[in-house]
Amino acid sequence: MHAALTVLAILFGWLFTVATAWALGTLLLRRLSLVFYRWEEPLFAFLIGAALLSAIVFVLCAAHLAWKALFLVIGLVIICYALRSGAHRPRGDSFPPLPQRWRWVFLVIFSAFTVLYFINALEPESSPDGMAYHLGVVAKYQRTHGFPRITTDMYASLSEGIELLFLWAFEFGRHSAAALVHFAFFIALIFLILGYARRIGRPVVGIAAALFTYLSPVVGLDGTIAYIDVGITAVLFSLFYLLQIWDQDRNPQLLLPIGILAGFSYAVKYTAFIAVPYAIGFIVWKLWRARKPLLRPVLIVSMLALAFILPWMAKSWIEVANPFSPFANRVFPNPYVHISFEDTYRKFMRIYALTSYWQLPWQVTVRGDLTTGLVGPLFLLTPLALIALRFREGRQVLLAGLIFGLPYFTNVGTRFLIPAIPFISLSLALALSGFEWLLLILVIAHAISCWPNVVQLYCSPAGWRLIKVSPQAAFRIQPQEAYLKHDPAYVLAEMLEEFMPADAKVFVFTQPAAAYTSRQVLVGYEGAFNELLQDILWIPMFRDFQPTRILTFQFPQREVRKVRVVQTASVSEGQWSVSELRILANGQELPRDREWRLTAHPNPWDVQLAFDNSPVTRWRTWQPPAPGMYLEIDFARNQKLDSVIVESSGDATATKIKLEGLGDDGKWTTIAGAPNESVRPSRVSLRQAATAELKSRGIRYLLITDDNIGANDFHLYSKLWGMKSIAQRGTAQLYYIE
Amino acid sequence: MVVLTRAAIAILALLLLCACDRLPETYPPPAQRQPQAPIPDPSVIMVEMSDPDSAQHIVKDIYEPFGSTWCWTAKQPTVKVLVYATDNVRLSSDFTIWSEGLQQTGPIELSFFVNGHLLDKVRYATAGYQHFEKAVPADWLSADTESTISVDVDKLYVSPQDGKKFGFILTRLGFLR
Repeated sequence: MHAALTVLAILFGWLFTVATAWALGTLLLRRLSLVFYRWEEPLFAFLIGAALLSAIVFVLCAAHLAWKALFLVIGLVIICYALRSGAHRPRGDSFPPLPQRWRWVFLVIFSAFTVLYFINALEPESSPDGMAYHLGVVAKYQRTHGFPRITTDMYASLSEGIELLFLWAFEFGRHSAAALVHFAFFIALIFLILGYARRIGRPVVGIAAALFTYLSPVVGLDGTIAYIDVGITAVLFSLFYLLQIWDQDRNPQLLLPIGILAGFSYAVKYTAFIAVPYAIGFIVWKLWRARKPLLRPVLIVSMLALAFILPWMAKSWIEVANPFSPFANRVFPNPYVHISFEDTYRKFMRIYALTSYWQLPWQVTVRGDLTTGLVGPLFLLTPLALIALRFREGRQVLLAGLIFGLPYFTNVGTRFLIPAIPFISLSLALALSGFEWLLLILVIAHAISCWPNVVQLYCSPAGWRLIKVSPQAAFRIQPQEAYLKHDPAYVLAEMLEEFMPADAKVFVFTQPAAAYTSRQVLVGYEGAFNELLQDILWIPMFRDFQPTRILTFQFPQREVRKVRVVQTASVSEGQWSVSELRILANGQELPRDREWRLTAHPNPWDVQLAFDNSPVTRWRTWQPPAPGMYLEIDFARNQKLDSVIVESSGDATATKIKLEGLGDDGKWTTIAGAPNESVRPSRVSLRQAATAELKSRGIRYLLITDDNIGANDFHLYSKLWGMKSIAQRGTAQLYYIE
Repeated sequence: MVVLTRAAIAILALLLLCACDRLPETYPPPAQRQPQAPIPDPSVIMVEMSDPDSAQHIVKDIYEPFGSTWCWTAKQPTVKVLVYATDNVRLSSDFTIWSEGLQQTGPIELSFFVNGHLLDKVRYATAGYQHFEKAVPADWLSADTESTISVDVDKLYVSPQDGKKFGFILTRLGFLR
């Protein structure tokens, strides 16, 4: 009974979300008197309605009105109004029927994979990113009925257009309902591909291209979990499709859905921002060639796109002082995301575990381990797609595929190729359209090669793919907890739920399934504050991080109002750090006066860490050292001094500093060039000092797994850390700081 | 149209404004942390090969990569550590004798030295994991300067492929107190 109710709740959450989006979209399309083919209208209605519904949820979250009851009322009102307006009555002409043989090919293959995919989507959500952040942030919004200000999780700063639709479904059916919403985008995408090909009079090409895309292992897995890559692909494809229709009809009313979808692309995923210049460029080019006025159409599309883009920029700007967070931190310096993190992240995303880009074609098509996923061996034929250039439609499709595929070079994970896959599929099918028998062979071969049991015969064992589905888990005959208990990330989340108080914060190095815990989790790399905690914990363990490098400036006594230590070296990697900056006069350290004003460039927000007398905290640049960076004290009056001691660490030996002072004349002058350098080995354990720092920042729990750096140290010397293990699950230990 | 144009200009101006860098903030000195009672750091006197900074303690004859769980040694693997106190200190090491190497060299003898003083000589005739531990006389050590610990291998395995010489597989070497 409980299982049946759970499944019903999931299905309700999914269908209610899809129906609300469809109803909203249909109302808009009909209000604009846009007439499509009967096949097309519900698909466009769903995509455009999804954008509108996402915007509504954004407003509700911003107003902290994201309540289940309100969702229910709003959804029902929209659906009822749409039905009353006759939205359910189909409009428009029908396409000519599909060729008999191909219709059966499509039905058989599509049905087989749909059963597989549906079960996968219905299963308890266990995808890494889905559990960690796509639904992790959704769960937070659901608990707080809106956008809480999250400054310690960079994923929460990304645009979340589809996640807000997940939230709508999550309220009723939790995690699986959200995954099914993504699956709805997947189905819409496949029917859109088919619809586009039928519109251009090439139904066989449509069936082949739809199946090429649908069966691709990475698309099949991604589209049936709580990710967003297939969702954004559906949005981009429908934008392309509408632009093609506009090019035929030149109906100005079409510019509204075009603008909405262009803006929604950014709202779903930053990298899809390219949809905006694509849409505007397309319109400008076509109108310019036809010698038609440009300004009004461009303004309509731009303004509508901005209406969907700006709220996300504003959210990030208000929450983390950077409209493009977690990127562009050099342009928008802020205390929430370090530049060093952004640099490392970008660098990794450009290469993953590859040793050469020549590995890419084989990796993304066949092996799938180093770039996380494979599109299937069929796509080794992608160069043949260029033959489609001989068709007008082929050129349009290839151009769109090229443009939407451009962001791939910022992230070479196979998932990031998905937006280009429908276009590659269409152009490949178009290229081979003269050989229908060959297309049929390719479709059947692709279907066989993409069936999970066959994929495992050629892909890497570690290749990210759909391995098997469990109807028992999907229909909750096997309870969710029993199904997920073997997932390490879920086990961590469960541990936090069981052993931590509701309002407690935990620091972790390994991401738990945040979507399954209500505890506040601070993951080491996910924010500047978290990275600071990580640094504090690593300092006692790594002598290179400890303040053992003592740099002393000694000079004849002088009187200055301000003094600063200035970086003079340019170092391409690493950071400059200062554990303590001490000012001396007559051999005595000057007590740090509350009148002093401290600042630094960059990272002024952490300047106090160089003045707190703690050996386990340090001010760091969090970006490669460069000449002109400084740490400064304003004494608020003239101050006599004759030496300055900079306590630094052994991991910054390539840096070079000088000392400057500001005198009565208001000019900075160099007081001393290079300092005397000495080494002061640390002999004492700094562990307790580190945990005391965490405690002072409100962190009483640490979750450590065996593969974390320093796990052994936490285990061996837990008493020296001043903490005790309160729970263990597998290789994970939960510590409490006493 | 005019309204749209004005709106566009206003939005662009806003975007430009938010690109402006703010001046660095200034802060007063924070509350001062009081030094805690000094507790000797037990990890400082034991060199674990898996320590990311183990290279800092390695003097010679230990093959890279440093930071992995174990390292091959050459003739006289040597590390340096600073002891916090000189009394009740024991030299300790965990290592593995390689079976294939033993077949070539026959039983090997390891000599354990602390600051040049021979602490012990042990003959190993069987392959596998080994642990050595023995008290170190206090007057061999100094709390002011780093102590060197070395293990001399009497016979080395010579690789038939490239002639490279190997002693044993070292996991940790240092002091316990």
